[in-house]
Amino acid sequence: MSEIKKIHDLLTQKQISCKELTEKYLSAIESDNKELNAYVNVTADEALAQAEKVDAKLNKGEEIGLLEGVPMTLKDNLSTKGIETTCCSKILTGYKPIYNATVWDKLEKDGAVMLGKTNMDEFAMGSSCETSYFGGATNPFNTKHCSGGSSGGVASAVGANIAPYGLGSDTGGSIRQPASFCGIVGLKPTYGAVSRYGLIAYASSLDQIGPITKTVEDASIVFDAISDYDPKDSTCQGRKGNKTFDTVNNDIKGMKVGIAREYLEGIRDDVKESVLNAVKVYESLGAEVVYFDMPALKFALPVYYIIACAEASSNLGRYDGIRYGFKAEHYNGTHDMMCRTRSEGFGAEVKRRILLGTYVLSAGYYDAYYKKAQNLRGTIVKAFDEAFKKCDFILAPTVPMTAFEMGHAVSDPIETYLTDICTVPVNIAGLPAVSVPCGFNDKGMPIGMQLIGNKFSEATILNAANAFEKAAPENFKETKWGVKL
Amino acid sequence: MVTREDVENIAILSKLFVAEEELDDLTKQMQEIVEFADAINNAPDSGEEFDNINNLSNVFREDVVVESLPSEEILKNAPEQAEDHFLVRNHN
Repeated sequence: MSEIKKIHDLLTQKQISCKELTEKYLSAIESDNKELNAYVNVTADEALAQAEKVDAKLNKGEEIGLLEGVPMTLKDNLSTKGIETTCCSKILTGYKPIYNATVWDKLEKDGAVMLGKTNMDEFAMGSSCETSYFGGATNPFNTKHCSGGSSGGVASAVGANIAPYGLGSDTGGSIRQPASFCGIVGLKPTYGAVSRYGLIAYASSLDQIGPITKTVEDASIVFDAISDYDPKDSTCQGRKGNKTFDTVNNDIKGMKVGIAREYLEGIRDDVKESVLNAVKVYESLGAEVVYFDMPALKFALPVYYIIACAEASSNLGRYDGIRYGFKAEHYNGTHDMMCRTRSEGFGAEVKRRILLGTYVLSAGYYDAYYKKAQNLRGTIVKAFDEAFKKCDFILAPTVPMTAFEMGHAVSDPIETYLTDICTVPVNIAGLPAVSVPCGFNDKGMPIGMQLIGNKFSEATILNAANAFEKAAPENFKETKWGVKL
Repeated sequence: MVTREDVENIAILSKLFVAEEELDDLTKQMQEIVEFADAINNAPDSGEEFDNINNLSNVFREDVVVESLPSEEILKNAPEQAEDHFLVRNHN
């Protein structure tokens, strides 16, 4: 059952006022966020003001939209007018955007109640949320473990019921991986399906905004609300076709599920077993399973890191201490001022990626790394084009393992990069993919799988994901935290 | 092979300072990451150049002036400003 619909019904049936509902969430955040560290900025006043507007409408007997009055949260790299937006970096402390990200403009107009901004890896660079200037968000299933990243705060908040849903961003898995680690649903839309205007850039050819939710129906509802053409993002085309919600409950009999063998290599046994069990569930629902090889995937990870770091080194050139954010206190000359501002303002992982990006773009290395990686990107795109001639969607693990313990990811950068092996191909090829819970390991930590679709086929993957959720609801578990409705 | 000098040079290009005591560790890490990236040199290269994901071409709009953000709003986030401009001091 959709969490958003459940809340909508409670509001319209007057079982709870929007103000009471919002207060419930705010008080749960106050008690639970100390241990979860999911929120970095709680916007209680704005949330309550919006809730009162919704109550006024309800009291007059006016109709409200599905998302109207439903609390939610935004990752802290989504611009919110007048509300501090830091990317969880020291370099953007105090920065208050003077415009809204298009996605927030849309949801705000739909009457969403934003509870606050959530934690993330600094500039979305990380896989555990721990590169955040504010420290990492923890996992609601076991707070000794990380939430995943980079959208770790949204995933932790939604998994812990201190937000019914939220928006994150996914450059190499940053929506799907934390959703998988926290036992919930995360949708990375097709490149160009959702406007990136107002999303603070990490790697512009890979970044996409998408929903992190409790259920597949919720992901469908939120995706439909934010996927629209936007002239402010020249790569944005909007959703193609009808609302995904129209078909999310369709029968999936006869659908073809593709398994690329490369996705099952080097995967921990417990994760592999859960994904293969899910294949059986699909067979029982009347889907047909086809196996094939995609050798091009073997190069996806280095291709991703080269392209992402190259774009990041360029995108992050704008932080110069002149126009916004942090500025070094003492300096001698403008070059020195910029160097000091950037060296004091950026964390270690961000500096590492800027340096690597600058390296692969510098004369002498450009052809060997950046250009070669771009060409291989084309090869990976073609491999997916071929695969989708054989199947309707590809089923794969989201992450090769379950959530790692806090502190583990920061100790070894390369080992952490390797955990992104299953998620990055989707960004390289600009495809949509949804991560869905599909099991638990023997320690009770959630396991996720992803359904990868062809470009602009969000309706197909959400339909197939929802069929799985209905057939195997035991994979969707509540945690001890947050609001119980 | 990434050398200490490489890292120092890249740091200048990136407008970042790398402290002397960080240099050895960072060189080692950069070397490891570059070795990992070197895997792509074993990949078969079709030589075909890749342009962009959705075969996008230039998007044109009518040349109509639309409202810009007011400069006083933009300047609110500047660490220093003077006379409707961003202020950059040579020393501080």
